[in-house]
Amino acid sequence: MLEIRDVTKRFGDVVALDGTNFSVAPGRIVGFLGPNGAGKTTTMRAIFGLVRLDRGEVRWRGKRVGPEERARFGYMPEERGLYPKMKVGEQLTYFAELSGMSEESATEAVAGWLERLHLGDRADARLEELSHGNQQRVQLAAAIVHDPELAVLDEPFSGLDPLGVESLAELLKQIAAMGVAVVFSSHQLDLVEDVCEDVVIIDHGRVVMAGVVEELKAASPHRSLEVTVNGQPWVPILPSGTVTKQGGRLRVLIDATADVEKILAAAHQAGEVTSFAFEPPSLTDLFLEAVSEGRVA
Amino acid sequence: MNGVLKRVWLVTRREWNQRARTRAFQISTMISIGIVVILIMAPEIYGAGDGNRRTIGLVGASSARLSQVLEASGDQLGVSVETRGFADEPAGRVALRSGDVSVLLVDQARLVWKTDPDKQLQGIVVSAVGALERQRGIEDLGLSSEEAQRLLRAPELRSTSLERGTEEQTAREDLGRIGVVLLFMAIAFYCGFVLVGVVEEKSSRVVEVLLSRVRPTELFAGKILGIGLVGLAQFALVVLSALVALSVADNTLAPDTTPSTLGWIVFWFVLGYAFYAVLYAAAGSLVSRQEETQSLQLPMTGVLFVAYILAFVATESPDGVAALLGSFLPPTAPMVMIVRIAHGAVPWWQIVLSVGLMVGTIYIIVQVAGRIYAGGVLRFGGRVRLKEAWRGAES
Repeated sequence: MLEIRDVTKRFGDVVALDGTNFSVAPGRIVGFLGPNGAGKTTTMRAIFGLVRLDRGEVRWRGKRVGPEERARFGYMPEERGLYPKMKVGEQLTYFAELSGMSEESATEAVAGWLERLHLGDRADARLEELSHGNQQRVQLAAAIVHDPELAVLDEPFSGLDPLGVESLAELLKQIAAMGVAVVFSSHQLDLVEDVCEDVVIIDHGRVVMAGVVEELKAASPHRSLEVTVNGQPWVPILPSGTVTKQGGRLRVLIDATADVEKILAAAHQAGEVTSFAFEPPSLTDLFLEAVSEGRVA
Repeated sequence: MNGVLKRVWLVTRREWNQRARTRAFQISTMISIGIVVILIMAPEIYGAGDGNRRTIGLVGASSARLSQVLEASGDQLGVSVETRGFADEPAGRVALRSGDVSVLLVDQARLVWKTDPDKQLQGIVVSAVGALERQRGIEDLGLSSEEAQRLLRAPELRSTSLERGTEEQTAREDLGRIGVVLLFMAIAFYCGFVLVGVVEEKSSRVVEVLLSRVRPTELFAGKILGIGLVGLAQFALVVLSALVALSVADNTLAPDTTPSTLGWIVFWFVLGYAFYAVLYAAAGSLVSRQEETQSLQLPMTGVLFVAYILAFVATESPDGVAALLGSFLPPTAPMVMIVRIAHGAVPWWQIVLSVGLMVGTIYIIVQVAGRIYAGGVLRFGGRVRLKEAWRGAES
């Protein structure tokens, strides 16, 4: 279990982290979400001791995190960083050995991961010769090549095409299934909704929402309503609700306690109901809700 | 292996592998070796034909014995002598005019020169002909071979000089100059590698991936050691080939003290590199982009350059105050000491004191620079101020 406890960090006048608290359990994938500048990267760097905290601590299995614990962590920084001119295989072996693996097991692990990431034939290529997507895969491999117990990935999905997103999501699930605690940050919420089971939403250095995605959705005071009548988007007249427009679609966020039957009846009166969806809010809705509430408060 | 040592070793090994295996490194090593070997062998190569090799043309009465004695006589004076027989004098004169032979010996009685007689060669021929005649005389007297040898043995006279000749002195000064240039280039070159390497890791952000695994001081140490080993290996290879060339070459302008001076150059390279590399590494940790290194490099390269200039001042007056002071101040000591050591004997206590000061200073700057590096290397975006880096590493 990774515990972030009361972590606080100021850069001059800017408060980057303001008493951040959350935890990550083994085998879980936690989406670490928040607007730009919310403190995601600073939190992740704090896990690796790359920023000096003003207050608070990071614990792993009940122990304050030090170099020994970090050797069992894997980190993929937001700003990708590898040696451009070093061969892919050599580079990964180097990182694995730095994390404490023996030369033989490092070589073996690297071969295995490269195969798994469909880079088996590129081991002897220099990193700079690889495509952007493949470089990203190598970066990921660098984070997990030493079989860490905790993988911390900063914006792993950014810059990936839909296929890349798909395969990375699959990989994260596999890693988590092996018992690894996975934390990844993102601000592309629609993208990660399928990947993470748990989510921590941070804004202005504070956690504004945390928990199991499904539970949070169910507990939300809002529901998403999307109706089409005669093939056209249709919006009921209601005392409250937020209408969002996505392309040609109209979606209304309404009170969870609203009378669905009544709305459906009203839709029927308007014409032939071609589709009717009344469901928990999306992750984006939760996020916007959490972030805007946090800002009001 | 202990965790810290293993990680330092891994970083060191990477630096070594990434640099020593490159073609650029191999080519630059070969070129350096080539230059040094040519410098040493030059007199040998260009000396062939004139200076130390002479051909004597023989006309008329002569014998195989004469050729042998002429060669032996030349050897004693360090001149390699060859002989060539001619059927008659006109044929010999043709060869003399064209320069194929240096002198013509006719009937063991007359010497014919193209222009002015060469006194050295004349001496060789005269002593050879004289020796042959004496031998013949001894044979006529009917002495035993032992008695004959006693009469014929050349006296062995040992030479000592009260002062070093100017030739030797100039050669030593030249050696000191070459040593200083070598040292300056090697230190500037490899410390430049350290600086670029540190900035490279920072600007490519690979440093975050690294520092999630190793401590800043481990990375710092491994990097300086790795690049230092590459530099030392290249430097030692060049020096070693210089020694080999010296032992192969008979005729060289290099003074006898060359091997020991070369050894000192390698020794001072290690200390000089350690001193400057530590500073360059700390400086590198303060910038985020390669373009910013220029202005940062200036103060240190300036100091290095001052040391270089001072070393040349010291060449002019190796016992002057500037040379004496310069050989104790750590930034200038390596180069100035090389000049003084090349020039002549430096009292042992001065060397010990200089090395002691150097090592002590390196120890201190490693502490300071290591902390600046640790504080600076993870700060991105523009130039990090020294104070900020110093505070940033507080634990």
